[in-house]
Amino acid sequence: MKVKVKQWNGVASWLWVANDENCGICRMSFNGCCPDCKVPGDDCPLVWGQCSHCFHMHCILKWLNSQQVQQQCPMCRQEWKFKE
Amino acid sequence: MEEELMESDPVEISSSAQFLGGSPAAWATVSAALVDPGSSASEQCVSESLAVLCTSGLGRHLGSWLLNTLQMRLATAVAPEFWAGLEQPENEVEERDRARVLLVAFHTLLEKLEPFIGGLEMLGRWQEEGRCGLSGPGTHALRDRAFTIIRARLLFSPPAALQRRVLEFYSRTFSVHMSQEGQAGDGGAEDGEPDDGGGCPGCAGPAGRCWCQEALGQLQELSGILCRLQLLEQVSSEAVTSIMHKLLEQRMEQHCRGEYERSFLLDFQEWLELVLGWLARVFASTEEGAGTPRATTPARGAPGRASGSLLQQWRRHMHQFFCRVYVNMRIEELFSIIRDFPESKPAIEDLKFCLERTNQRQQLLTSLKSAFESRLLHPGVHTSDILTVYISAIKALRDLDPSMVILQVACQPIRKYLRTREDTVRQIVAGLTGDADGCIDLANELSRADPVTLEMQDSEDEGGGPEDWLPDPTDAVKDKTGSKRRSSDIISLLVSIYGSKEIFIDEYRTVLAHRLLHQLNYNTAREIRNVELLKLRFGESHMHYCEVMLKDVADSRRINANIREEESKQGAGPGEEPQTPPPPPLALSAMIFSSEFWPQLKEEKLELPPVVSQAMEAYTHRYEKLKAMRTLSWKPHLGSVTMDVELEDRVLTDLTVSPIHAAIILHFQDKSSWSLEELSAKLGVSKETVHRKLALWQQQGVLREEAGGQYSVLETGSSRERLERSVLLLDSDEEGDSNTTTQLEQREEKLQLFWAYIQAMLTNLESMTLDRIHSMLRMFVATGPVVTEMDVNELEAFLQRKVREHQLMVSAGVYRLPKAN
Repeated sequence: MKVKVKQWNGVASWLWVANDENCGICRMSFNGCCPDCKVPGDDCPLVWGQCSHCFHMHCILKWLNSQQVQQQCPMCRQEWKFKE
Repeated sequence: MEEELMESDPVEISSSAQFLGGSPAAWATVSAALVDPGSSASEQCVSESLAVLCTSGLGRHLGSWLLNTLQMRLATAVAPEFWAGLEQPENEVEERDRARVLLVAFHTLLEKLEPFIGGLEMLGRWQEEGRCGLSGPGTHALRDRAFTIIRARLLFSPPAALQRRVLEFYSRTFSVHMSQEGQAGDGGAEDGEPDDGGGCPGCAGPAGRCWCQEALGQLQELSGILCRLQLLEQVSSEAVTSIMHKLLEQRMEQHCRGEYERSFLLDFQEWLELVLGWLARVFASTEEGAGTPRATTPARGAPGRASGSLLQQWRRHMHQFFCRVYVNMRIEELFSIIRDFPESKPAIEDLKFCLERTNQRQQLLTSLKSAFESRLLHPGVHTSDILTVYISAIKALRDLDPSMVILQVACQPIRKYLRTREDTVRQIVAGLTGDADGCIDLANELSRADPVTLEMQDSEDEGGGPEDWLPDPTDAVKDKTGSKRRSSDIISLLVSIYGSKEIFIDEYRTVLAHRLLHQLNYNTAREIRNVELLKLRFGESHMHYCEVMLKDVADSRRINANIREEESKQGAGPGEEPQTPPPPPLALSAMIFSSEFWPQLKEEKLELPPVVSQAMEAYTHRYEKLKAMRTLSWKPHLGSVTMDVELEDRVLTDLTVSPIHAAIILHFQDKSSWSLEELSAKLGVSKETVHRKLALWQQQGVLREEAGGQYSVLETGSSRERLERSVLLLDSDEEGDSNTTTQLEQREEKLQLFWAYIQAMLTNLESMTLDRIHSMLRMFVATGPVVTEMDVNELEAFLQRKVREHQLMVSAGVYRLPKAN
């Protein structure tokens, strides 16, 4: 007997490779989106800091904009630098 | 004073007459002149005698004497004779003769009474003229008294025979009239009178001996007599009423019952006019009747006028009666009318017209409610049928009663019942998306031009100014919506069965997920349309999740195309080719979804054959390259597989099966005989499931169960095998249990979430009442895609269960956690 698979339609869910489940700022799931967004994934990406904490990009930008003096990671208070 | 004298004993009067000299002779002359119109006494002689009586003060007793004589004559002679005449030939004679007998009896009656009436009129005239100082109540009053006496004496307790005769006679003349009018008209008024053997349709007499004309003549005569005696109403009314009612009911039964697609109002209006023509013959013939030789005095104008208004009265009465009978019948049939609604619109409109004229709303409500309960709301009826009827009812009743009160009250039981059915939501959603077989109404309703937004329906200023406001009918249910307009929008009504639209949106998401996952192409045009339409109804925010789901499908398609392209490029180059030597690399495409936005999918374990899992891994790698920092989590049990199975003597092409079926058969490719245990271990799936899934391949004649629980490939087909069929083999039980978790499971999960909250609350606050817990939960538990509405009863049931499981304690309505010891 020979089986020839012509087409396999699989189903998968995508998820962020992050060390946490939820965004530390908005407390929403990373796999969801930040409160201002409607659509997850490409439209509401995650960013990582050099401190290895990650957030929804929109969340951390908002946070950084609100910081007058020094831009720190809201989790560990280290200076915030985007991880390249 | 006058009254007292009139009522004094007649004996006393006559004796007092004898006391006064000269008076007896005068009394005799005058009384003879009054009672016997043919008396020989000359006018002058009577006048003189009258003068004598008047001077002796006896003149004023004349009236009462005359009336008393009339009464006595009636009691002793006239009435018994009349009854005897009427009853005399009971059964032997035929109808025609009976009619004659009836007429003759009344004739004699008139003849006997005529002298008295004449005398009364004469006396009345004298009184009016004030001849010889005679005074009295006058002709009118005297006549009235006389007729009162006649009525009282004659009809105080009439034998049944009279009614029977009169009824028979009137029925006959009625059918004569109707048949004549029917011929004169277009024959549309042809009544249901059975036409026996070529007889006359009117009198039903044998062909040669039609007595229609005679009957009509008799009718006229009889009416004349009765009118003269002022007995018309007393004698005829009952008979006429019963004939009318009977015929109307009969006609309605014949023409309208079960016939909803035609309006009958005009029909009956015409028919009623025809009937009134007959009534006119019965009641209004007095004018002509006055001309008959037997009427000695010309009829006054009064009876004619009276008969005109009488006819008006009858018209109103008949109309009212028609409405009532019609409403009664339609109420009885309302369930069927609703069932065939769009076709039965004329019936609804007729009913509406008539219902406004009779006070039968309450009856309608009660009857409709019980009809619903007995014919619809029992376990034998499919939910989708109940919904179909409910939708028809909404449409029909909002036509019937624009205030929606009938709809609201009558359909309460349906709504209540639907709430107890588990598949209601599913059916409604299926209807909305056009999946249901029966109700396309909902899909049409959804795509209607001007949807009512569900949020909007509460707004106060809906349509029209304050002038258009109408108070609710009195039977409206007092509810929390108060005077707010009741919604007539079908979808809002259906959605409000459960009081929250979240349930529907959740169900829709489930249905949508199911369809998207089972779709092989990424064609979502129809779903997009549905979601857009639902968005108009439920509001943008609620349908947000569904939009993301659709976007996932579109994205998946793009990603697939992207990855294919990559693959083909690498396939050309010397990439990882050696690693995937097996048959042409598995064509894998993926449906990639955003887990947070889809309904929860059932987690099932399934170990796929290495070929597939490797392909998946490769796919994941490419995906990770495409989308930085993201990866894929495969749901191995979901999806579909298209494959050819080549056996020694046959090929099964284009089989579409579920992944587990594919995995099973792929294993058989490596080794032609497996035991259930081995397969189960290999696939990581329970033996029961494997056994169930194997059945498909056995059906297809590819595998065979051998002794000792071994399954092996049937390389050569036996006679009963089906060959070369390309079919969709997602077997039925697969379709049945959808891939999404059921509502029940979701609910359970949610309750577990609540339990965590409850425990935390009780730890902090030590003890709480049910209501308190409920309100706290509502405050704190964040809303999400999962249903968060939970009523107190449900919570109580849940807490009771926890109490039984000894995880909770309750005393005097206060819940607390058991002390940890």
